[in-house]
Amino acid sequence: MTAGIVAVENLSLRLGAFALKQLDFAVAPGEILAILGPNGAGKSVTLETIAGFHRLDRGRIAIGGREVTRLPPERRNIGLLFQDFGLFPHLTVAANIGVGLRRPRRRLPRRSLAELLADLGIAHLARRHPAALSPGEKQRVALARALATEPDLFLFDEPFSALDAQTRERLRGDLEKFLRSAGVPAIFVTHDHDDALALADRIMILRDGAIVQSGPAATVFAAPADRFVAEFVGFDNILPGRIAGRSGDVLTVAVADQLIDVAAANVADGCARAVWLCIRAEDIDLHPSRHAHGAGARLAARVVVLRDAGMLTRIVLDCGFPLQVCAMARHVREMGLTIGAEIGAGLMPGAVHVIPIGEPATDPVAAFNDASEC
Amino acid sequence: MTAAADPGAKPRWARHLPPSHPHGVFLVCWLLGGLLGAFIVVPLLALAATPSAASLAAAARTADLWQALRLSLEAALLTAIVAGLLGVPLAYLLARSDFRGKSLVAAIVDLPLAVPHTVAGIALLLVLGRDGIVGAPAAAIFGLRFWGTLAGIVAAMLFVSVPYTVNAARIGFEGVDPRLEKIARTLGLGPWHTCLRITLPLARRSILTGLTLTYARSISEFGAVMILAYYPMTAPVRIYTLFVGSGLDEAAAASVMLLAVSLALFILFRRLAFGNGIGAMGSR
Repeated sequence: MTAGIVAVENLSLRLGAFALKQLDFAVAPGEILAILGPNGAGKSVTLETIAGFHRLDRGRIAIGGREVTRLPPERRNIGLLFQDFGLFPHLTVAANIGVGLRRPRRRLPRRSLAELLADLGIAHLARRHPAALSPGEKQRVALARALATEPDLFLFDEPFSALDAQTRERLRGDLEKFLRSAGVPAIFVTHDHDDALALADRIMILRDGAIVQSGPAATVFAAPADRFVAEFVGFDNILPGRIAGRSGDVLTVAVADQLIDVAAANVADGCARAVWLCIRAEDIDLHPSRHAHGAGARLAARVVVLRDAGMLTRIVLDCGFPLQVCAMARHVREMGLTIGAEIGAGLMPGAVHVIPIGEPATDPVAAFNDASEC
Repeated sequence: MTAAADPGAKPRWARHLPPSHPHGVFLVCWLLGGLLGAFIVVPLLALAATPSAASLAAAARTADLWQALRLSLEAALLTAIVAGLLGVPLAYLLARSDFRGKSLVAAIVDLPLAVPHTVAGIALLLVLGRDGIVGAPAAAIFGLRFWGTLAGIVAAMLFVSVPYTVNAARIGFEGVDPRLEKIARTLGLGPWHTCLRITLPLARRSILTGLTLTYARSISEFGAVMILAYYPMTAPVRIYTLFVGSGLDEAAAASVMLLAVSLALFILFRRLAFGNGIGAMGSR
């Protein structure tokens, strides 16, 4: 096992009616992993299990290259932060940070308290109590407190969920800077995909205690593995379709009575296979004309709903099926869109992600044979 | 426009209230609350005014009255200490762990509040008395006798007043965010250190409130103490004997002494514990 790496292998445990099912993942030094999922998916339990608050039924956990599966939380060398930062209200800032410094078990040479406070720009807060701090100051104190113990891993449970949008964005920036400079791997749990997209190198999506998909953040957001993930990472349009033909990497998919050409190198399946077409509302272009010229599909559409959302306008089109579109308000004004207008909806081939429905194509030979029948 | 015709003018009693407050509701609440306050304060004032200076002076010179008072205070203090040692751990269990029969245990803790105190005294006598299943071996092995001793007084006081400590401490522990304990663990504190340095200090106010209530309730206990340990006499028992034997005037004089001392101690304790007077009872 390489030093610095956090590895979770086959982690399984049962907690009443809930269970974590064979979670397998690793976090490299300096890497930030986001665990994403709806409420009840097991995100927090996963985090608490890594921290040592639940006994595993099976599997093992290594932190900093050291097996910790059977160690209690205080010997795992981790930093844990919660949404309200979890400062001890009865202790001053200095005493909060000192809590972790007094224990003799830490392996690495300790930084002095004053130095740490100065590094994080909170020296002037040392004698204050947490109640007198702003959210930003609280976050810094909580980070300093965790950092003081020289952790091998940072764990964050919904770090920003209690904050307003502006503070959230600012603290997110602070946190990213901090984590990048600390070089310590971090895992954070969130149900907010903005947080995940902004901070994470890799994303792991949980559902009912099992990993549904994990990979680089950009990949998970662009190419969800199934309908659940697609919804979760914010695809506004998830349309049922059927493969009607293929030429090279371009699939022709029938949705209602429209035919849509999409680039789908990831789908090896053949004819008549049912698929989901996933399209983000912002990836659809509006054209005055219904006829395509150049690449991409052009759908005949009628404007059904126009809803002003400030800088953006949310539009629902009827293309034989409903299509959610999001466009710049200025663009909509310039086009003179009105309800009932007949227009064209343009889809660049790369804007559409295709998810096969049912059994995934695990056997490449069978998949190839299927495809050749088209 | 004259002041009297101003439609926004408030009645005198409502002048300090913000304009949005429901004055009618407050008026009724003030009346009823004032009635209750008078119900508590008037008898105590009447008591304080009853004994003549001469009988007060006579009472203050009575050695056995001071003895009874001292015994009451000592026994109540011991009771509060025992309640803290035995009650706070139970409160922690009730707040922090789940086990079968937890609600039964919680109900048992509240039971003394519902048992008439003379009944409690008789029940304790059966167990702790000369032939009781605890009283007999305790006397034989440790020489610890509960009848007619300080130990008996403390046992009787503990039985009737320990629920206050357990319940207040439980509420205190439940008010401590478990995530703070988790963070303490990840910072390197073991379970004992976490409990002593994080959980206990954060529940401190509630625990002290509970102990103060237990202490105050113990000083005032009469029924259970009288049955289990008539002798040596605590202050309430001594006052009862004065009332029966010597009449109202002497009993009232002794009562004023007990009232003054216990009130003074109560206020002192609260000041030591919370840095303020009686005003903030139970508030955070």
